[in-house]
Amino acid sequence: MDAETLKPLAAGLAIGLGAIGPGLGIGLLAGKAMEALGRNPEARGPVQQNMILGLAFAEAIAIYALVIAIIILFV
Amino acid sequence: MGKLFSSPKLLVIAIAAIAVLLVSVAGGALGASFGLGFLGGPIPFISVPAEQVVSISGYPLLNSTIMFWVGGLALLFVAWRAGRKPKEVPSGWQNLLEVIYEFFSNTVDGVAGGTPKAGRRFLLLVSTIFLVVMIINWVGILPGVGSVGKIETIEQWVHHHAEELEAEVHEAHPDYSAEQVEALVLVHLLEEHGDDTFVVFDGAIVPLGRGEQARVPLNKIVSFTKDDLHTIEEAAEHDALADGEAHEILEAIHHDVEEGVVKSSFIYNEGEDGAKTYDFTGQTAGLLIPYLRGASTDINTTLAIAIVAMFTIQIWGFRALGVRGYGGKFVVNPFTKGPIATFIGLLEGFGEITRTISFTFRLFGNMFAGEILLIAMAFLLPLIGIIPFMGLELFVGVIQAYIFAMLTLVFGVMAVAIHGDHDSHSEDH
Repeated sequence: MDAETLKPLAAGLAIGLGAIGPGLGIGLLAGKAMEALGRNPEARGPVQQNMILGLAFAEAIAIYALVIAIIILFV
Repeated sequence: MGKLFSSPKLLVIAIAAIAVLLVSVAGGALGASFGLGFLGGPIPFISVPAEQVVSISGYPLLNSTIMFWVGGLALLFVAWRAGRKPKEVPSGWQNLLEVIYEFFSNTVDGVAGGTPKAGRRFLLLVSTIFLVVMIINWVGILPGVGSVGKIETIEQWVHHHAEELEAEVHEAHPDYSAEQVEALVLVHLLEEHGDDTFVVFDGAIVPLGRGEQARVPLNKIVSFTKDDLHTIEEAAEHDALADGEAHEILEAIHHDVEEGVVKSSFIYNEGEDGAKTYDFTGQTAGLLIPYLRGASTDINTTLAIAIVAMFTIQIWGFRALGVRGYGGKFVVNPFTKGPIATFIGLLEGFGEITRTISFTFRLFGNMFAGEILLIAMAFLLPLIGIIPFMGLELFVGVIQAYIFAMLTLVFGVMAVAIHGDHDSHSEDH
């Protein structure tokens, strides 16, 4: 197998493996936020705001993997 | 349902919506497997670096730069409209900007300590970053951005790629004449990019209905064989390009490159039984260089904003804590405070650099991925597939701008906070 044939495989692996961690993280984060909302519905505003901020942090890791996949495929 | 059938207007709208859905499913990638796909076009060339539109006396004007200016002008226009006739009771544009100002004014104060005016020094940069990033994200998904441009012909493409290679070859063989270098560069280029594909243009547009893979590899545009390249390479090394077999082959390749049209041998075939056959013979092939490209899909833009943010954060830190106070976070004397504190200080300094990179890639990755998502949806489900994702992109544009601004604020607050962990502990004990 030469480098050209391995490229799609490598890109797929990069984003696939790279999405596992952020996926778990986003799930945990949203779950905990729901829990917090259930316990304290008045804190909806701050909980939501901080959750979105945390989601963006977790999502950024997946985006890094995506950038790597894109670079493997197109550069 | 009864209401739907009783009103002819609603019925017409419902039928039209279903018809559009059916047409787009049949015309897209799904329909292409059944011999339809009359709306499918070739997947455009996705370029990670921004492309040059024109060169103004040596300065390359990139398509993302133009879009940044468009975003800036849009922001200027909004500010002008809002501030033209300020009223006591705001309305319209003025109201919009006052809402944004008030929101950020409250947010910076809240994050910076809770007391009024606690975050005044952060307000300007944080709200500016939010507005600029949001507006460049939004103007980047306007129709026409990324889809209207000029065609880079094969000749221009070869010229464009040969420049870098020429210097390389010249360095390896400084005694070669210009002719030899040119021939070798061409050989390298064809060897390396022979399988690269180009979009077939019909005049100045990309016609729809040729399936999403309707692209022609370079070796169908410039006809050559491996032996041909070998002959040229050998002749170039022995300085025998002036005549003979190598000269003829080279002439033919040059002719093909100049012409830049698909050779007769290429027929694009879709489906196992050849249900759809296209003969691209004689049509121009090339790449689309868009005139406009969303500024935040260029890594230089996001890096520039990240550097401005991180640089200002350092200034805030130095102004709040002084050179000794803020510098003491990064440079710690190992003899008085211990080697571990020194190491942590170094890590802290390294963290400032990684934050810049993380800023850069978070915004670039999100917006670039969004662009590719829109392109992919336009080919999977033409006409309507893109609509929900346009909404998603608007949302992502705001969220990413908000995150960029909020992180700048949070890092800024951390920088001006008195680094008292170790000192206060030692005082306590």
